Amino acid sequence: MKRVLTGIMALGLSAGAAEAADELTLQLKWVTQAQFAGYYVALEKGFYEDADLDVEIKPGGPDIAPPQVIAGGGADVIIEWMPAALAAREKGLPLVNIAQPFKRSGMMLTCLKETGIESPEDFKGKTLGVWFFGNEFPFLSWMSQLGIPTEGGDEGVEVLKQGFNVDPLIQKQADCVSTMTYNEYWQVIDAGFTPDDLVVFNYTDQGVATLEDGIYTTEENVEDPEMADKLARFVAASMQGWEYARENPDEAADIVLEYDATGAQTEEHQRRMMREINKLTEGSDGTLDVSAAETTVDSLLSGGEAPVITKRPEGAWTDKITSMIE
Amino acid sequence: MLIVAALAVWIAGWALNHWLARRRERWVPLISALIFGATLLLIWELLVRGLAVPAVILPPPSAIAARLADPATQGLLWGDFVQTFVKGALSGFVIGSGAAFVVAVVTDRSPFLQRGLLPVGNFVAALPIIGMAPIMVMWFGFGWQSKAAIVVVMVFFPMLVNTVAGLKETDALQRDLMRTYAAGYWQTLLKLRLPAAAPFIFNGLKIASTLALIGAIVAEFFGSPTRGMGFRISTEVGRLSLDMVWAVIAVAAVAGSAFYGGIALLERAATFWHPSQRER
Repeated sequence: MKRVLTGIMALGLSAGAAEAADELTLQLKWVTQAQFAGYYVALEKGFYEDADLDVEIKPGGPDIAPPQVIAGGGADVIIEWMPAALAAREKGLPLVNIAQPFKRSGMMLTCLKETGIESPEDFKGKTLGVWFFGNEFPFLSWMSQLGIPTEGGDEGVEVLKQGFNVDPLIQKQADCVSTMTYNEYWQVIDAGFTPDDLVVFNYTDQGVATLEDGIYTTEENVEDPEMADKLARFVAASMQGWEYARENPDEAADIVLEYDATGAQTEEHQRRMMREINKLTEGSDGTLDVSAAETTVDSLLSGGEAPVITKRPEGAWTDKITSMIE
Repeated sequence: MLIVAALAVWIAGWALNHWLARRRERWVPLISALIFGATLLLIWELLVRGLAVPAVILPPPSAIAARLADPATQGLLWGDFVQTFVKGALSGFVIGSGAAFVVAVVTDRSPFLQRGLLPVGNFVAALPIIGMAPIMVMWFGFGWQSKAAIVVVMVFFPMLVNTVAGLKETDALQRDLMRTYAAGYWQTLLKLRLPAAAPFIFNGLKIASTLALIGAIVAEFFGSPTRGMGFRISTEVGRLSLDMVWAVIAVAAVAGSAFYGGIALLERAATFWHPSQRER
């Protein structure tokens, strides 16, 4: 991969800056933060430029669904979680995973120890905070695998639509809330709880982890040879960005802060997030682990009465783009 | 082809309404409105199909109708309606406008409150709902109570300002007349000033009715149980079930219009004597 990258770089250099670079728009899943450091680093460090790409990074937010943006022509590539992408695919939007920089899932359910929850069996009768807007799929498939109804009652769990913060846990309105290893978990810690006060269920440990933060585009784009070439250069340069972020976490966090137009992020939080994110991208060269994708599909299909997807998807991922790099 | 058909439908609908507008029968305005609405729906359907707009951007009305006809969806929508409209919006509307009415009568007696409270009222009324909603969820929990609280905040001041203005409607001559009848404060209030204020009060109620539904729906974006119109909209957008989103919007539009229309009918019955209601 390294050799090809240098090749691409050499190509980019010899092509010269005078020629117009290929434009590409990337829609992120969430606001500018270290979760997307690889892309910002690639932009800042000129990895995209070297690959003759002019990349525009669009931050997301609580009211932005990346699949909808790409369907409306607002982006060429998006960062999305696999469950949401597969659900969109069933709705008739042919999204394809072309690369998977995140090897591991960062999703957890964080509970207060004082609620007496020790294992998933103790969830019955408790109130759990869950993110919706397409992020509820991993939780729903977990609960259906456990056989716990999500309609409330003594034998089920009461589900709250949690905002994108951890207030319900801090105010004890919920017994558990959804957290990411790299973000909300630390908001709980910052709110004055110690790790000893908390019981954490990692989705990976529970065997229900789904693939997060993959790079998706449409089938049409993958089949277009010119676009496929652009995408291959994009993925290669992005992975170079991730590699750089792993080697220089503090600098990467600072780059993210620079691009945060809202000014809402703090240095401490971003540097910490960067280190947590690096644990999730560790060992990934961008190629998708097909068995992990199959596990995601299995977990989504086993949705009981209301499965997230109803049939096994075909062509939802391709190694065409990543194999063009190697 | 379908786009040409859409154009043809537009021209036909327009011509039909043009022809109808020249007739003077009572039913003409109603029929015209129906034709206009049907034309819009037909054009929408034809354009979406003709231009091959993806269903995740804008579903055709037929898909939305199919959603609405599905019994499982109807069950969900009914639950959402009860949660958001009946529990959230309606109770917030009653509490908020009721409290505003009482405060308006009290304020009317006290110049101090008039000078002090109304500017503060304007200030609070200008607070954005998205700033209030997370705070109310923090205070009153995830259930309908926090939604009702937001509705109270939203409807209180439009109602207060209108009622206070309405209570000023009588002139000195009318009040003097009441005094010569030996009427006390309460008699003057009940028999002269409140009836005179009624058009203003109903104005406040009409504004409050639309605000109440908007407030209750938007508030659910900031934390809710897994039911309610706002919850459904924000969740189904994320799932790209845009037909479901439009189905909820249709229910909300019908509920909101019926609520507003009900108040307008009440107004007509209660203020039949007012110039604005004559010649109908």
